[in-house]
Amino acid sequence: MDFSFTEEQELFRRSVREFCEKKLAPWANEINEKGEIPHAILKEMASFGLLGITISERYGGSGAGFINATIAAEEIARVDVSMATAVYYLVEAGWGFLMDRYASEKAKEEILPDITKGKTFLGIASTEATGGSDIASISTRLEKRNGKLILNGAKTFISGVREATRYGGGYVTIVNTNPDLKNKGLSLCYLPVKDVKGITTSIFEQMGREGISTGTININNVEIPEHFLIGEWNRGFYYAMEGFNCARTLVAAACIGAAEKALESGIEYIKERHVFGTPLAKFEGIQFQMAEEYTKLEAAKLLVHKAAWMLDQMYAENRFSIGEINKAVATAKLVAPTTAFDIIKDVLTWYGAYGYTREAGLERGLRGVYSYIIGAEGAQNIMKIIIGREILGKEFAPY
Amino acid sequence: MTVEIIVCLKQIYDLAQIKIDTSKRPATEGIAKKLSDFDKNALEEAVRIKEKHGGNVSAVIKGTKDAAKEALSMGADEAIVYNVDTDSLGTAYILAGVIQNMKYDLILCGEASIDEYSFQTGPRLGHALGIPVLTYARKIEMQDGDVVVERDLEKGYEIAKEKLPALVTVTKEINEPRIPTLMQILGASKKKITEMSPFKPDAGVETLSILAIEMKRKEVIIKDVEDLAKVIMAER
Repeated sequence: MDFSFTEEQELFRRSVREFCEKKLAPWANEINEKGEIPHAILKEMASFGLLGITISERYGGSGAGFINATIAAEEIARVDVSMATAVYYLVEAGWGFLMDRYASEKAKEEILPDITKGKTFLGIASTEATGGSDIASISTRLEKRNGKLILNGAKTFISGVREATRYGGGYVTIVNTNPDLKNKGLSLCYLPVKDVKGITTSIFEQMGREGISTGTININNVEIPEHFLIGEWNRGFYYAMEGFNCARTLVAAACIGAAEKALESGIEYIKERHVFGTPLAKFEGIQFQMAEEYTKLEAAKLLVHKAAWMLDQMYAENRFSIGEINKAVATAKLVAPTTAFDIIKDVLTWYGAYGYTREAGLERGLRGVYSYIIGAEGAQNIMKIIIGREILGKEFAPY
Repeated sequence: MTVEIIVCLKQIYDLAQIKIDTSKRPATEGIAKKLSDFDKNALEEAVRIKEKHGGNVSAVIKGTKDAAKEALSMGADEAIVYNVDTDSLGTAYILAGVIQNMKYDLILCGEASIDEYSFQTGPRLGHALGIPVLTYARKIEMQDGDVVVERDLEKGYEIAKEKLPALVTVTKEINEPRIPTLMQILGASKKKITEMSPFKPDAGVETLSILAIEMKRKEVIIKDVEDLAKVIMAER
């Protein structure tokens, strides 16, 4: 057993950190305040190979495995703790990988190069007004009519709607292709949203990660070419679960990155800040809290890195069953957001009144990470159901 | 003409991470190492010259294989590493010993390493090899077997020309070193790294200890504006 990263992975972490500190950090406040990531920054990230990092080289990606993709997610979230830039990065890395695996060659050639160049956005459209966790109840319909694919329905709480309608791009969209078959009647398709007849959108005001939009996509008799179907008809549920495993691992990694940065700054602060003539760090009430949060962070990191490693092993070496992957990823996604939230909350409290200011930058991390406790890329209780199902067996699944 | 370039680099502790311990010594345990900043400028310039004129870039590095991988990721074609700790004179002798058996038109160095700032290694190396030295270059052009540089002076700059082979030290203004991408890092794993164990030459200067500078607080208590004015006037 070896817990260390390879020399290449360590070098990649240093490179991404240097890139993020030079190119992204100066914009972190503005991303949060203005509510958007400047397109020039996205293009710089693309030039550096970060956008669509898991996509194959032939479509302009880096063909990265999930350990490297995880390293990048951590480093991006360290610099923009609001999670906005990390969200932009990770949905493309997670779902771009899935498109690369299952989309038609024609669709990949048309769509992926612009994603890896940072010209357009790729997201995931799963959630509907009835909820995000109950995928079997998805009602957005995809039908074949006279050799054409026609979509009708609505997707909501979707990341990047403003970006996709402004820059171009679209969504890996989970659709119902046979209402009688529940999970087995789902398919995946690519849905472009910019200047598409039948698409209307609206944007939510959110409590956090303001730098990337979240909105609703209304889909009214939208026609897409047949080659935009991703994988086989009615096999969408399985592809989607695979995509969620990839994206959830990166979500957990981003939470770890934001938490690690917050804890590092908190440790420096409690060593420097004196109260009653003594550094805060000497008070056991603070020191023990710091020790506990550090321990939780280390535990969460190990879970996240193990999940990423297992994904790489599965794709490269055909190791591990999908059940083992589901369990490892769900465990990491269950632990990382709550750990990150607890750490940022404690550090904010150590900072006292300053922590409560926007200037300190911690509150935006707290608000950003909370989106992953609420349920972006899968609610916490769904993670528990997955873990329960994989340990106890399908016969004990509550739904 | 194509240009055979050798770049000399030094791996140093990341100074931004170093803390001073209670005995006033820099605490280096667990501190990451990196290539010295100006040396990276030299490597970047070498890669740019190669991209423009063709040729080859060899990195000769005082440090570990990690440092070699970083240099190769940034665009060097091969790397030679050695890890002998000595002063700038000793380093120049070691480098001259390694380089004298290599083919080169141009040697590039950073103007100084950012941990010791002696500014001596480049000029001493040029002297040991018996080739012309141009220091503090902020711009380099290759012209028909000559190297033409803009040398940064305290008040202005001068343009100087030398026949190749020559050694040039560069300032940080010359370029912005590239940050290697994942593809470049993975691509570098196929490039050649040679590890050498040269003898440590007799050092001109032996470092006995490194201690942090102590800055005493003035501890002046200012009661009011008049008091402040007096303090300012006294310091003028």
